[in-house]
Amino acid sequence: MSSDQTDELGIEEGSKQKQIRRRKLYDRLARHVVFVGGAGIIFCIIAILFFIGIETIPLWKSPGKKLESVSEMEDRLASGAPSGQVRIFDIGVDEYREQFFTVDSLGSVRFFTLEEEPKLLKTHTVSHKTTGYASFYSARTNTSYAIADREGYVVPFEVSFRVEFREGTERTIVSRVTEGDALRVAEEPIEMFAYQSSPETGAPVVVAYTASKRLLAYAEVEEEGFLGESETEVFTTDLTGELGGAVVTGVQVDSEAENLYVSTANGKLYHWSLSDPSSPELKSMLAATADPGVAVTRIGFLLGHRSLIVGDAAGNVSVWFETTSGGEESRLAKIHVFPPLPAAVDRFSASQRGRGFLASDTSGNISLYQATSAAKQLDFPGRGKPYAGLSFSPKANGVVAVDSDMMLSSYYLDNPHPETNFRTLFGKIWYEGYDRPRYVWQSTGGTDEFEPKFSLTPLAYGTLKGAIYTMILSIPLAILAAICVSQFLHPSIRNVVKPVIEVMAALPSVVLGFLAGLWLAPLLEKIFVATLVMPFMVIGLTLFALFLWHRLPFSFSGRFRVGAELFTLVGVIGIAVVLSLWLNGPLESLIFAGDFRDWFFSMFDLRYDQRNMLVVGFAMGFTVIPIIFTISEDALSSVPRTLSAGSLALGANRWQTAMRIVLPAASAGIFSAVMIGFGRAVGETMIVLMATGNTPVMDWSFFNGFRALSANIAVELPEAPHGGTLYRVLFLTAILLFAVTFLLNTLAEVLSQRLRRKYAQSDA
Amino acid sequence: MLSGEPMERQEFRAPEINGVAPAPKAKKPEKAKPVPDPLVKVEDLSLFYGTKQALQDINMNIPRRQVTAFIGPSGCGKSTLLRCFNRLNDLIDDCRIEGEISINGKSIFNSDVDITDLRKRVGMVFQKSNPFPKSIYENVAYGARIAGIKKKSVLDDIVEKNLKRAALWDEVNDRLNDSAMGLSGGQQQRLCIARAIAVEPDVLLMDEPCSALDPIATAKIEDLVTELKNKFTIVIVTHNMQQAARVSDYTAFMYIGDIVEFDTTEKIFLNPAKKHTEDYVSGKFG
Repeated sequence: MSSDQTDELGIEEGSKQKQIRRRKLYDRLARHVVFVGGAGIIFCIIAILFFIGIETIPLWKSPGKKLESVSEMEDRLASGAPSGQVRIFDIGVDEYREQFFTVDSLGSVRFFTLEEEPKLLKTHTVSHKTTGYASFYSARTNTSYAIADREGYVVPFEVSFRVEFREGTERTIVSRVTEGDALRVAEEPIEMFAYQSSPETGAPVVVAYTASKRLLAYAEVEEEGFLGESETEVFTTDLTGELGGAVVTGVQVDSEAENLYVSTANGKLYHWSLSDPSSPELKSMLAATADPGVAVTRIGFLLGHRSLIVGDAAGNVSVWFETTSGGEESRLAKIHVFPPLPAAVDRFSASQRGRGFLASDTSGNISLYQATSAAKQLDFPGRGKPYAGLSFSPKANGVVAVDSDMMLSSYYLDNPHPETNFRTLFGKIWYEGYDRPRYVWQSTGGTDEFEPKFSLTPLAYGTLKGAIYTMILSIPLAILAAICVSQFLHPSIRNVVKPVIEVMAALPSVVLGFLAGLWLAPLLEKIFVATLVMPFMVIGLTLFALFLWHRLPFSFSGRFRVGAELFTLVGVIGIAVVLSLWLNGPLESLIFAGDFRDWFFSMFDLRYDQRNMLVVGFAMGFTVIPIIFTISEDALSSVPRTLSAGSLALGANRWQTAMRIVLPAASAGIFSAVMIGFGRAVGETMIVLMATGNTPVMDWSFFNGFRALSANIAVELPEAPHGGTLYRVLFLTAILLFAVTFLLNTLAEVLSQRLRRKYAQSDA
Repeated sequence: MLSGEPMERQEFRAPEINGVAPAPKAKKPEKAKPVPDPLVKVEDLSLFYGTKQALQDINMNIPRRQVTAFIGPSGCGKSTLLRCFNRLNDLIDDCRIEGEISINGKSIFNSDVDITDLRKRVGMVFQKSNPFPKSIYENVAYGARIAGIKKKSVLDDIVEKNLKRAALWDEVNDRLNDSAMGLSGGQQQRLCIARAIAVEPDVLLMDEPCSALDPIATAKIEDLVTELKNKFTIVIVTHNMQQAARVSDYTAFMYIGDIVEFDTTEKIFLNPAKKHTEDYVSGKFG
């Protein structure tokens, strides 16, 4: 009033105009600030998602190849010997793809620069005196080799590369060949052989197939003599008899020198155990090809030497390993079958960085396979000639091959994450050594030869398990509490109860997780039976107490303040808890025969983990219940009083009014509350990290733990090198987590809008 | 329900604590104006919100199967008095009642009175129409359903009969399963009347039932009230004196928690005994 008067009393027209202009300016300014703020937040969220998304893109990229050089090597490789008399056995590359080397039948290891016009850097000729070498074995790709000569000697040697930095920055690769002692394995030329040295004793094991078609196992065993001096005893076992006259096409001994695999021209695969090197034991003989007329043409090992790659004359490629599938005994079985090569399989070269391998056929085709996902990743078209040497570079980023015409091809391979595709990330995969295909998450292992297992399914499962069980525990409590507080309690009590429950939500979840994991979990294990009994005891005693209160003469109960019986209930609940705890021991011996863990295990085959779903449920309840309670309570309280009054005026009691009128009218809000609670349970990290044990198992049991997506990120973060596969998979986990919460929230919003429309209040 | 009990008890307690016996007091002289065949008797009724007294020693008799109107300026306690009849004031915290109301000679504050049963006998229509967010059918059937009637044919009959009584049947019989929220304001109010009379109450309380309606809808409701008084005892609170004059047989003029004058409508409007009443009905203040 007064300002109006002042206005009328004499503010001049000019200053009035100025004021209007200023108000307009403020209005516009405020509008822009609000717009910039809102749009900025939306932009930031999209940008974060975008950057997270970018980090995961390489996981899905199909591998790329680039032909870097093709060189005619005839003159260079044959130098010093008549053309056609030198045979190239194999080829190797250094880690930086700067040099490659060839091993030939003269016993020479020649190092060249890997470029368009390769230059000979160095030639090392094995010092063993011989007339020429007949066969060759690569014990470890690019490093460990052995050659065998025409007199039956086997000479092992290692090729190593050392990186030196000269003049500060320039990188120089220095190659080196270290020879071992020549071993006299046979008296005749060795056509084919396998050489390994025992990782424990260093004692060599050689299995040789000679010109006279004999298969000999040669082993040196060190023994202590009478006087304590060490003696080396040599065992040579003739295994020819066990082959039944078949022609051997491949011999492989694993890096532990414990298993011998032999393939034959009649399509058989033999497996001997070399645990006792002095007497090899034939463990199995399997048909490796569909038809005995098809020969196994090549066998080789994957990284880790636990999986055997088998190629046959029809071009089929398969991976085999020992598994307990289908029986107690572990046995060799064909696990992965790959798309075949066009011609007979000729050579393999396994990656040193994963379960990938190259396979070439006799008409010069090379394919890149991935064993884990059982997929063919790339084809390298050849020139129609078989390869004399094929090597997968140590970092799995290049391929070097030399064919029988001495043409050298070098490829660059862009395949940073060969082990991930949709199947390995979400599907069931038969991992090396497992009894069947499974969903497994195991990102890191003890050795470089470990096969990483990146199935996100157990993690998503864990997240859902945690969230769903939490909701099962929380929803009834939270909503009943909200109904009680909003519809039945005296407002003065409500004004105390509601903020107290809301404070629960403010508890840092790290504290809850810590308490749950370190205090509640062991405690719960001790008083498990009491915990089972407690809900029934509390509900039963509460109802009984209220019944008694009801039966009290009014002259007595009327003397107390309204809601006084609620405080009595606190005592009753206390008694119920104490009673349950007291019954813990007797009940456990009565029902569960002394120990509930044994009982559950024997009755239901259920394992009780100390950190289990129950513990998580309690702790998560602390964070989720207050959220659901508060929002539901608000929704229930905001149902117009006229509606409940209308119902009461029709003779409905409070319960009928609450259930039939108030609850449906508040359903949209309650639904939102539940979904927001669910979203919180899905995204919760600290509690699931600390109280679940983080074992990525897939089991709906209430009594064991799980690993959630969110906790997984926290657990694995320190293990993930920047740009590595794990690093990107963790980003993918983040996206998945975001997608789940986003979906839940959207669904919640859509459904609650629908409910809101259905129960809309009229705006009369 | 269990924890809801104390709030009702508080109301039981009030007469006892103040030493007022629950039974009608014979010793006191009849203060209220005698009416033929009274259904509801109000004796020395006082009501307090906390320390504030909203009704002061009200004494009145409400005649059976007649329309009784409460008029008076805003805040005079008309609605409060109305809500005493079905004890809806129990919902309000720190509301305290002294005195006595009896319906058919039975006290409604007695501790053996089932409050839900009382409310079935005393129906109510509110100022703002408050249909439940359910279908038209379910709104009318609500009272029967909570009374435990489940049989479809019985419910169907109840719905049809009461929608007809409320003169709504012809307008909605083809969309009984549509949400009641889709009705117009007047239709919603008639639906609320149908819902209230569906439980066959003795008394129908109407708290300014037309205050949010346009004249045509108001006229329909007024016709309905005249129609319904053959079956029900109706107590209507209104701000609109023409409405009171049109629909009611008896009128009580209230002022600041007290009944200034209570008589036949004719008397109140044409020949009021008190100057105050005359000033109000003639529009001199209000």
